[in-house]
Amino acid sequence: MGDTMREFLLAFLGSFTGAILFNIERYNLFWAGLCGGIAWAIYKFLVLFSGRAIYATFIAAVFVGLYSEVMARRLKTPAYVFSLPGIYPLVPGIMAFDTINLLTFGKLEEGINKGIETAATAGAIAFGILLASNFYQVLDKLISETLNKKTKK
Amino acid sequence: MGGDVMEVKQVVEVATKIGELLLSSGAEIYRVEDTMRRIGAAYKIEIESFVMPNGFSATGKTSDGKMITCVKRIKDRTVDLHKIELLNDLSRRIEAEKLSYDVIVKEIENIEKLPYFNFPLRILSAGIVAFSFTQLFEGTVLDAFFAFIITCVIYVLKEKIEKFGFFQFFEYFISGFLAAIFALFVNNFIWTVNIDKVIIGSIMILVPGIAITNAIKDALYGDIVSSLARLGEALYIATSIGVGVGFALTLGIGWVTL
Repeated sequence: MGDTMREFLLAFLGSFTGAILFNIERYNLFWAGLCGGIAWAIYKFLVLFSGRAIYATFIAAVFVGLYSEVMARRLKTPAYVFSLPGIYPLVPGIMAFDTINLLTFGKLEEGINKGIETAATAGAIAFGILLASNFYQVLDKLISETLNKKTKK
Repeated sequence: MGGDVMEVKQVVEVATKIGELLLSSGAEIYRVEDTMRRIGAAYKIEIESFVMPNGFSATGKTSDGKMITCVKRIKDRTVDLHKIELLNDLSRRIEAEKLSYDVIVKEIENIEKLPYFNFPLRILSAGIVAFSFTQLFEGTVLDAFFAFIITCVIYVLKEKIEKFGFFQFFEYFISGFLAAIFALFVNNFIWTVNIDKVIIGSIMILVPGIAITNAIKDALYGDIVSSLARLGEALYIATSIGVGVGFALTLGIGWVTL
């Protein structure tokens, strides 16, 4: 538990400072960092319990998508302000580097495996976020439409 | 506000300027196309555009058949979310209030001049990114500490190299090279430092993780060409860093055995 807390704080810190590098508004920094921290905690938790990294990444990305849509409504800013720092701990940057590194040292088989893993992770994140935010938007539209109908009556 | 009618030339100029700023701040392709189209529509001018990651062409057409085309090439691209947000707000205001040409030009100038977080703070944040990610990737606190220092150095050097105008991938190559050299150097004095973890932590700010994910996002929106272009760029960046690190490690291994 203490270890999870420590990792949560580290991911929070990483997303927070990453958000500074992306230059987002000062008063959104905390919420962007929180998004990254929770996403990493979800990822870590699911990896521990299921052992499937790609699946865990997908669920964490779905969380990031939903969180950033909700926060975007609340704080009146675009959703990507939260989603980009949020996925920062999950994105397969180091994995892409590892792929090239393995290939340059002649470990072709491992390198290709790593490459496929990179593509799968990136796909899981992109798909998770788009799915969640689109789903949220459609739901939001439906709810507001039904509310409008009721007020008209 | 507004009142006087803008000419086609002015509308296209304003729309492409905003599009250029959006694209160079790292906005998605569909956002750039959509913004330009909506700005044109506010003045009853049909703007059709074809946007790629490193430039675009846009044509404005009035109802009486006047046409004007503009091509823009984007040199350097960064991620600047605050600028995208402000440009978004501006384009909404243009749509709603039909601002006049002078007002829009002034607004754009203001956005361009907008302060970024100051340099020391950005160096510190780059360092803290390295510090936290080294530990997330199972490095020790000592590894994280050295990654912090190395990233601060790399970040400053990268900014300086950008000003010299080397080719784009050189800065990634040299940053990866330096990260590995520093890690080897530290390892020479303190044996408990794990070279791999330090290198991974200190190149965290360089690796194209976000770029790869955005490339796939573009593809999911249906912008296949730009998706492939971005994927290619991300691959070249990863290759440059990887080759830089590999080069340093190869040198380092030779150096140790000598």
